[in-house]
Amino acid sequence: MREFLSTARSRLRRAAGRDAGSDGDAERADGDGDSALATDGGTAEAGADVAPAGGTDGLLDRLDDRFGEDFTESAPFWLPPFLLVGLFVYGAIAWNFVISLTEYKGFVGPDYSDLDLDMYVRAVGDSAVIDATVNTFVLVVAFTIVALVIGMLLAILVDQKIRFENTFRTIYLLPMSLSFVVTAQFWLWMYNFNNGVVNIALGAFGIGPVDWIGNPQIVLWAVVFALVWQFSGYTMVVYLAGLRAIPTEHYEAAKVDGASTAKMYWRVIVPQLKGSTISAAIVLMVFALKAFDFLYSLVSGYRPPNGADILATKMVREAYSTNNWAYASAIAIVLFLMALSIIGPYLYYEYDKGNL
Amino acid sequence: MAQLELDAVRKVFTDDDGSDIVAVDDVTVDIEDGEFLVLVGPSGCGKSTTLRMVAGLETASGGDIRLGGRSIVGQKPQDRDIAMVFQSYALYPHMTSRENMSFGLEESTDMTDEEIDERVQNAAELLDIPELLDRKPAELSGGQQQRVALGRAIVRDPEVFLMDEPLSNLDAKLRSQMRTELQRIQEDLDTTTVYVTHDQTEAMTMGDRIAVLDGGELQQAGTPLECYHRPANRFVAGFIGEPSMNFFDATVRGDRLVADRFEYGLREAAVNDVAGAEGVTLGIRPEDVEVTPGTEPADDNEFATVVDVVEPMGNENAVYLGFGADPTDPFVATVGGMRRVEAGQRVIARFPPDAIHLFDATTGEALHSRSLEDADPAEPRI
Repeated sequence: MREFLSTARSRLRRAAGRDAGSDGDAERADGDGDSALATDGGTAEAGADVAPAGGTDGLLDRLDDRFGEDFTESAPFWLPPFLLVGLFVYGAIAWNFVISLTEYKGFVGPDYSDLDLDMYVRAVGDSAVIDATVNTFVLVVAFTIVALVIGMLLAILVDQKIRFENTFRTIYLLPMSLSFVVTAQFWLWMYNFNNGVVNIALGAFGIGPVDWIGNPQIVLWAVVFALVWQFSGYTMVVYLAGLRAIPTEHYEAAKVDGASTAKMYWRVIVPQLKGSTISAAIVLMVFALKAFDFLYSLVSGYRPPNGADILATKMVREAYSTNNWAYASAIAIVLFLMALSIIGPYLYYEYDKGNL
Repeated sequence: MAQLELDAVRKVFTDDDGSDIVAVDDVTVDIEDGEFLVLVGPSGCGKSTTLRMVAGLETASGGDIRLGGRSIVGQKPQDRDIAMVFQSYALYPHMTSRENMSFGLEESTDMTDEEIDERVQNAAELLDIPELLDRKPAELSGGQQQRVALGRAIVRDPEVFLMDEPLSNLDAKLRSQMRTELQRIQEDLDTTTVYVTHDQTEAMTMGDRIAVLDGGELQQAGTPLECYHRPANRFVAGFIGEPSMNFFDATVRGDRLVADRFEYGLREAAVNDVAGAEGVTLGIRPEDVEVTPGTEPADDNEFATVVDVVEPMGNENAVYLGFGADPTDPFVATVGGMRRVEAGQRVIARFPPDAIHLFDATTGEALHSRSLEDADPAEPRI
């Protein structure tokens, strides 16, 4: 029995040695004459047949030198997700860009031999795309600013050491947990021309009825209002955290310095919320760019109400309603650049502060 | 500049369960125009709360606070002509030193920008920080932030300065330096100042007068040396002075004090002062205990003791002495730094009869204080 165990153990050890031996590093330890010489330097003196192994080893060493000593050892952990993200995110973006350079439309596959910027030229001249761009811009800016202002006011009110503070916080945050589909549905009911809550309420004051969804002048603002309702709670929570980080002494010092409450907030407290404002604004803008789901659910289709067409809806409509694949890709790239122009400066700001 | 009067000021906090916590209990103290009053006491004694009531950051539950004869209770902090220096400095991080210092003037006065600028410049020169004016607080060291915080108060030229432990975030060296500097500035400006600290060294060295608080109650208000040599009660005697006064519980038997481990002969003056009292506490300051080598006490003011621990300070040694061979519960004596005293050594400790304090054992009230007859008459100690 004991003999069997010891032979098994030595056999296992040998197997392990061979396994490790296949790894360039361990070969040196094995003391296997020729290959030891070859792997050590990986230079021209090594025999021609083992040169490739030596070459890889040298490359790995150089990678380790360049990116830190654990670079190759840790590769099994970070490399797979790195490649997956690279392929499916950045690869897809690149492929999308290439498609936007073709004339791909209909059911015939794209022709990659003829690449030009025709689709972008067409987009610049297309009044529908220009309208959609303007709408997207208005939506992003108006929604972000209004949500920030309302969120900050709510946060300041909730921060007054009031009773049931946690309850208020939860109530204001709840709309954020609803999906766009749900909010779109019930704002559709609220905005209903004949029996929506909004028109009934306004009717009590003798205003209206207003065609919130049907009037192209108004519909975008109605959408902004609904989105603000959904996201100002989130902004409030971000600001509340920012307010909590400001020491009480700053309020007290400002009061003793003779500042009125409004001046105290405006000159001492709000400027210290700069960090919260930036991070909340980034999230809000990205959500505004993604407002496609909201508009899609509002009308249950690709054609949003007149006056509320944004780049996202236009892009999807071009792609899936009219099969203008290349044109839709070009619009997608425009949208992508808009998002990048928001995220890019933010990433740089964070990098500059040493947070990245 | 004006006189500040606290008249039976009271602060009661109501706990969540409805019970009341008295933070400040009937504190009455007058601060003369231009006076530097130090509020001192252990943490939680109500000194900061008192200061915050003067600032208007807490509302007084009772009593009156008068500034220049006019009641300021009920006024908002904005409307009181006061400036406050906070322990954490509370500098606004997004503003430069200059903006921090001019903020108060911009908000509380209608001075022109030039006037404000001039005031800020003058204050900066007084504090020796003109070159720091365009930096933000994050770029300043603790001591520099401290100066900016002081500057912010000084430019206001208020009736009263309130300072809430302004030096406690500085290291020891810088603290003693700033202590002197603060005193110099206060003397230059001659502004009424209330200064809160838990550090009795700051209280002793800086104040024209000190007010000792404990448990929300005023224990004594007087000059630093009054509090040191004529403590009103046992708490003040123990709080002021470093190392603290030694206390021994004893009972009076005629002209003798009988304690657990020794008996002490009283002089006539002391016997008269303790007449009628049963239990008393004998107090003696470490520097008044006379330590001599030897083993045989000569009279009933001397005791045979054994050195337990010696703490050398350089200029003096703190010597912990135990009665007889019993090292438990030692008392402290300070002897000159050049004297050689070692643990285990047998020495005679003498409590000079004119240096002892006697307190009522139950109320803690002072019955008898040390005699000051040996004080140098050219420089009266009080």
